[in-house]
Order: sequence, then structure tokens, then C-alpha cells
Amino acid sequence: MDLDFQVILDNFTYFMIGRYPNGPLGGLGLTMYLAVVSCILSFFGGLILGLLSLSRYAVIRYPVNLFINTIRGLPLLMVIFWMYFLLPALMGKTVPESQTVIMGLTVFTSAYMSQIVRAGIMGVPKGQTEAAISTGLKGWQTMLYIILPQGMRNMIPSFVNQFVSLIKDTSLAFIVGVSELTHVGTQVNNRTMSYPTEIFIFIAAVYFVLCFAFTSFSRWLEQRLAWRKSI
Amino acid sequence: MIQFQNVHKWFKTLHVLNDVNLHVKQGEVVVVCGPSGSGKSTLIRTINKLEPINEGHLTVDGMDLLSKKTDLNRLRAEVGFVFQQFNLYPHLSVLSNITLAPTKIRKTPKKEAEEQAMQLLERVGLAMKRDAYPTQLSGGQQQRVAIARALAMKPRIMLFDEPTSALDPEMIGEVLQVMQDLAKTGMTMVVVTHEMGFAREVADRVVFMDHGVILEEAQPEEFFLNPQHDRAKQFLKQLLSPMH
Ligand SMILES: Nc1ncnc2c1ncn2[C@@H]1O[C@H](COP(=O)(O)OP(=O)(O)OP(=O)(O)O)[C@@H](O)[C@H]1O
Ligand SMILES: [Mg+2]
Repeated sequence: MDLDFQVILDNFTYFMIGRYPNGPLGGLGLTMYLAVVSCILSFFGGLILGLLSLSRYAVIRYPVNLFINTIRGLPLLMVIFWMYFLLPALMGKTVPESQTVIMGLTVFTSAYMSQIVRAGIMGVPKGQTEAAISTGLKGWQTMLYIILPQGMRNMIPSFVNQFVSLIKDTSLAFIVGVSELTHVGTQVNNRTMSYPTEIFIFIAAVYFVLCFAFTSFSRWLEQRLAWRKSI
Repeated sequence: MIQFQNVHKWFKTLHVLNDVNLHVKQGEVVVVCGPSGSGKSTLIRTINKLEPINEGHLTVDGMDLLSKKTDLNRLRAEVGFVFQQFNLYPHLSVLSNITLAPTKIRKTPKKEAEEQAMQLLERVGLAMKRDAYPTQLSGGQQQRVAIARALAMKPRIMLFDEPTSALDPEMIGEVLQVMQDLAKTGMTMVVVTHEMGFAREVADRVVFMDHGVILEEAQPEEFFLNPQHDRAKQFLKQLLSPMH
């Protein structure tokens, strides 16, 4: 089979940034935008849901856990569809597709992140909490200064996995017509007709490089953040 | 200072504290001993409400532990607790371990808190370890830092739950020495320990527990030379036997 990657070079800017700056951002640029914004939002979403799911008040704990388990029981595509149809109805106005996708990704990833947060917090020995409250620290101070900093360390590897999934999951935005990388790939393919192999090899390679770069970066960060290697 | 009146506690169906009556006066050092599982830890942990009691009355430094009005955080700030497993914060330096509570709760300015922490570290003989992390310290050093951390809140009462049980024999002495010095300053102390040398020299009273019941309460000399209860006799015999 002869591969001709000229089609990639011809459409390179389009793959990278879509029609930007003459039109909306697309391609890899949009993929990264979706991933980064959803990543930041679901970090906090996961933290909040995780903390609430450990609340000592059942009236908070039960509905939060119900929500988390419901989301975890749905395919991501379903969550994105729901956001796509639900969000405009709820807000009473049209919402840009990319924002409904960000919401879908955030809700979905937050639910998984909350489980990581939960496990990370529960993995900190009970003696740490006891020591902290014994000096008179309040519950939230104990969480903030003692438990979370230690739990966070256990959470980082799982966070990274979750975010790598998130980067790949942005490709589902294609279903609601958001012109991220995968969508741009299908567009170019439809237009040129004769190079599907080249195009999708290229798209796959871009996802791989992106995820690989992210994993390597976080490994580097993890080592820098390690306060003592021995614990 | 600490008053137990007909205190009961259950873990599910297990009766861990059975009609406990105990009065610890200000400045007194009370040693609690007894076989494993007799409820010593539970007893001492009720004093700062790490374990709540189910029945009876418990007052600590004038605060009623059953009253909803009692400010639990204030109570705990007044009562220092030293654990068998030290429980230092592994992500913080020795100095930060000690200054955390005073700066966050008492709002002591950082510089002042650090000066006070250094004085405490001098007292436990570890000033040179201020910037070390807990895992870089020996067990004995960790426990001395833990004592300094508890003292940083200027507590009126100090509780010790088997502070030397997790230590190698050669490190027990240094920790007991710090505790003995502390007792000399007039601190009210309740100490769960099997270190009978410490009990003999430092304690004003020894309390012997078994199955959640205080079976005996006596001056150290009296307790060691002339234990009244069979269980106490047996316990002491085991403790002093060379097999131990
Ligand atoms: N959180 C808990 N839940 C259920 N049972 C408990 C709990 N903590 C302690 N117990 C039980 O209560 C009894 C008393 O325990 P406690 O720790 O007070 O004994 P102890 O005298 O300190 O023993 P040791 O010398 O082994 O430390 C034991 O039978 C123990 O198994
Ligand atoms: Mg115990």
C-alpha cells in the first residue's frame, strides 16, 4: 500500500487550528481547549463531589453518591447528548456546542475523579486525623492542611490516567458537530475522499503524542512535588 | 481536673468501660496499666472525646463532655495527646509539625510560633532537627517531636497512650526522661504505660484496669509491693517475669 502524506501537509493548519483566526478555533487547538477546560473544571468538580460523598451528614452524602453512581453508570456519549439537549432547555437559550461538550465531559469526569479523591482521602491513616483534631484543629482545617496534601500524593497517578482518558474522550465532541481534531479529520476525509488511511494515522498519532506528552509531564511534576521519596 | 463518674462505654455489644470512676487532680500524674484489650486506650481517648462515652458523667477542666454546649475544639486544644504511633505529619517539617496548630488555631504570628517551637525543641533535645522531616528521625526522636507538638498548644492536661511501646528499647529512656521533666513542671498527666520504673518514680497514682473495670487504684509503692486483686498480681508477675 502506498501512503501519500501530502494531504496532511496541505491541510496542516486546518488540522491544527481549524479556520482560526478567520473563523472559530478547531482541530487540535479546540481539542486541547476542550481537554484543558474540562480538566480544570473536573478537578474541582471531583474534589467537591469527593468531599461531599464523605460528608458525615447523610442528607448530603446520599444524594451525592446517587448522582455519582448514576453518572458512572451511563456511557459518556449519553451524558454529552443529555447536555446537548438539556442545557439549552434549562438555560432557556442556545448554548454553543463546545460548551455543552465541556459540561458533559466535566460532569462525567468529575464523577470518576470523586472516586479517586474519596479513595485518596480514605487512604490517609486515621492516626493523622486523630493527631490533628487532638491539637484542636477543626474538621476543615484537618482536611485542608493534613489530609488533602497527603491524599493528593496518592491521587496524582490516578488523576493522570483520568485526564488522559479525558483527552481521548474529547473526540466524542465530534458527534454534536464540534469541529475538534476528529471532526476535522472526517471533514478533510470527506472533502478529499482518497486518503482515509493517511488522515486517520495522522489523527491517531496526534492523540498519542498529546497523551504521551501529558503523561511524561505529569511524571516529571510528580517527582518534583515529592516531598520525601521514602514515604 | 478530670472526673469520671459512673462512665460506661460500649462498642456495639462489647462493654469496654464498665462503671468507671476516677478523679485526677490538677498536677497529678496517673499511670494506667492493665492487660491488652482491657480498655486503657479507650479510657484515655474519652478524655479528649476521640471516643464518646455512652453513659455517666465526664468533666475535663470544668467542661462537661456530654454537654452540647462544650466547644470540642477548645477542649482538645487544652488537652495534649501523644500516640503510640507518634502520628507526626509526614509532609511537614519538624518545625511546621509543631507550629501548625498554634498558628491556625491560636493565630500566633508565625515568627513567634517558631520561636516557641524552638524552645520546645530545645526542651526535648532536638533543636538541630528543626528542618528535618519525620521519616528522617528515629522513633524516639519522632515521639519527642510529637510531645513538643502537643505542648505547643500550651495544654493544661497531657495524655499519653503507650508512648514508648513502639520504640526500640534503647530509645525508651529518652522519651521517658522528657515525660519525667514534664511531670516536674506540674503538668497534669494521664499515662497508659507498662513502664513500671516510670510509674514507680513519677506517678502519684497507679490505676489497674481489666475488662473495662478499674480494679485497683493505689500509690505506686503500694500497688507494686502489695497488689490487692488477683488479676493485678498475675499481671505484675507476667510483667516482671524474664520471659516478658
Ligand atoms: N473502634 C473500635 N471498635 C470496636 N471495638 C473496639 C474499638 N476500639 C477498641 N475496641 C475493642 O475494645 C476493647 C478495648 O480496647 P482498648 O484499645 O481500649 O484496649 P487497651 O487496653 O488499650 O489494649 P492494648 O493494651 O492492646 O492497647 C478491645 O477488646 C478492643 O478490641
Ligand atoms: Mg491501647
